[in-house]
Amino acid sequence: MVLVKAGGQRTLVLAEPSRDPAVLLADLSAAEPSVRRAAARDLAPHPEAAMALCDRLEVEASPSVRAVLLTSLIHLQSPTVAMRLASLLRSDDVPLRNAAIEALQEMPDAVAPHLRDLLADEDSDVRIFAVNILGALRHGQAPQWLTDVVRSDPHINVCAAAVDGLAEIGGPETLIDLEALRRRYEGNPFMEFAIDAAMRRIRGH
Amino acid sequence: MAALFATRQKDPSPAMTDEEYAKFCEFFYRKTGIQFQAGKKYFVDRRVADRIEKTCSESFRDYFTMVRFQVTGEELQFLVNAMTVNETYFFREDYQFDALIGGILPEVARSKRRNEPIRIWSIPCSSGEEPYSIAISILERWSQADSWNIEISASDIDSKILHEARTGLFGERSVSRVSAQLRSKYFLPRPDGSFQICDELRESIDFSLVNVVNPLHTHRFRDIDVIFCRNLLIYFDDVGRRETVEMFFDALSPGGFVCLGHSESMSRMSSIFLPRKFGETIVYQKPLSAE
Amino acid sequence: MARSRESEMNGAPPHILVVDDGITMRMFYRSVLEAAGFMVEEATNGMEGYEKVLAQPFDLMIVDINMPKMDGYSMIRTIRNDPAVRMIPAVVVSTEAAAKDSARALEAGANFYLVKPVAPEDLTEVVRMIVGVAA
Ligand SMILES: C[S@@+](CC[C@H](N)C(=O)[O-])C[C@H]1O[C@@H](n2cnc3c(N)ncnc32)[C@H](O)[C@@H]1O
Repeated sequence: MVLVKAGGQRTLVLAEPSRDPAVLLADLSAAEPSVRRAAARDLAPHPEAAMALCDRLEVEASPSVRAVLLTSLIHLQSPTVAMRLASLLRSDDVPLRNAAIEALQEMPDAVAPHLRDLLADEDSDVRIFAVNILGALRHGQAPQWLTDVVRSDPHINVCAAAVDGLAEIGGPETLIDLEALRRRYEGNPFMEFAIDAAMRRIRGH
Repeated sequence: MAALFATRQKDPSPAMTDEEYAKFCEFFYRKTGIQFQAGKKYFVDRRVADRIEKTCSESFRDYFTMVRFQVTGEELQFLVNAMTVNETYFFREDYQFDALIGGILPEVARSKRRNEPIRIWSIPCSSGEEPYSIAISILERWSQADSWNIEISASDIDSKILHEARTGLFGERSVSRVSAQLRSKYFLPRPDGSFQICDELRESIDFSLVNVVNPLHTHRFRDIDVIFCRNLLIYFDDVGRRETVEMFFDALSPGGFVCLGHSESMSRMSSIFLPRKFGETIVYQKPLSAE
Repeated sequence: MARSRESEMNGAPPHILVVDDGITMRMFYRSVLEAAGFMVEEATNGMEGYEKVLAQPFDLMIVDINMPKMDGYSMIRTIRNDPAVRMIPAVVVSTEAAAKDSARALEAGANFYLVKPVAPEDLTEVVRMIVGVAA
């Protein structure tokens, strides 16, 4: 028989003494990615480590360590953490900024206070990212904020992103603004198509 | 008590208010990763009502306090056992066993030293059909099986179902996809129509109680080559899925594989694994140069 | 550029994979490309896109840059590194018009670069040119 029973170490679950946060913080810059991952994961219950996790995220090159850092930051979410993550939206590192967007989508209350600023950013790409965050945010205000974007943002791609968000989470009360937007972009085939599609979805057919 | 029970049966008044239900779900989610959708209130309520009654608790509040603070965690275990969905059967989603035999194991074997075992982890294993199916597939169909030591570990959060897995007694429905030839080779039919799995298989699989979201339970799983995690993550939310697959990353050897259920796609959970195609199925690999 | 063996051999219309996290964007691509006679498959991020590419042959992929799980550049780079599927031509579509980004797209292995919002006729022109079908 080739099957051998695993085991040896049976499931005696001894509560591991929780590791010293100071050691964990030092481990965040260890040479071995597996050590960094373990440190990032074990710091999740330590709010005082949040800024150190943000610092590490900015320089971390390993995708798997990045992923764990962000998961821990989702647990430690706060307006300050959200602000640090929001600053990554300007990063040139494409995977990093998209991972930051995803993490921010998981922290509605923490990111909400920053959305007004992000939606007013002079860089239209940052505004698009803010709209993308809104579209996936489980936050009661999200449809209203998206409607505000549709009413007032001058950039076509920002408006297009908002239309997309409204197609997913908008209610009938947003139809008036979508109709107005459609008049604004009369003759632009993409916008006409996107707005019609969004309105059809909102009307439920 | 009996009279009370009877009236409850006829007209079940909810054990929990909406607010209590929300609190309960939050607690249960933190303990198990399992998220109940809004429409699940009736399902949850009936089971909680049953536990309230079995523990002779005065009210939901009393019961909830006990569950949260009991040192042994015994009642939490009963509650978990009552809430889990254990549906499973032999050779479920068997295209993944084809991938295991035809692609994954040969690839694992190519980069492994002969004296090291090949390690497979079935989590969650429910009543055992999945790990037993893996064992039978390997014994029957992998030509190199004789040259390797193969360790199969199997875990679940539900202590009652694990007991059934260890016992290895299966009903007709569960073995319906097992051929007559394999039935006669690996099972003993019993007079009541059930099937007893042979002792050799029963004893070769290491069953353990593991809550996948509890690091204290999972940290001993290391250097695994293949993880089967099927039909569990559908019950989790995004963050729970992320955490679970990140834990798998640490449990796996470089180049190790994760097989998910057919409705569970890694592309909605995490990007740290790379999709790989074997035959008709896609599985996920921890990069060989892992970092 | 030559069409891939698949569609050419069995005479089926060319297969296009569109990868974008925006739902109206995907619907737009589908409507324009189907009207032009192409078959369209959708993916909502780069990783799902790569999975689709592994699962069935495509003549072309149209890829957004900023997406969750796997961005467009990473997706194209991953595909270029996979001998089984590396040849599929890629068009990158993004909001970033900056020159550095088109340079980056080419470096990742994209063949063409379009800027959003895309005009339907530009889209069909580029697709026809790449898969080699006359209008
Ligand atoms: C539907 S069964 C899947 C069994 C088998 N993998 C299959 O696909 O047929 C789901 C199992 O997940 C287990 N489970 C739920 N939450 C868990 C957790 N946090 N840790 C480990 N197992 C869990 C349940 O007890 C149940 O047995």
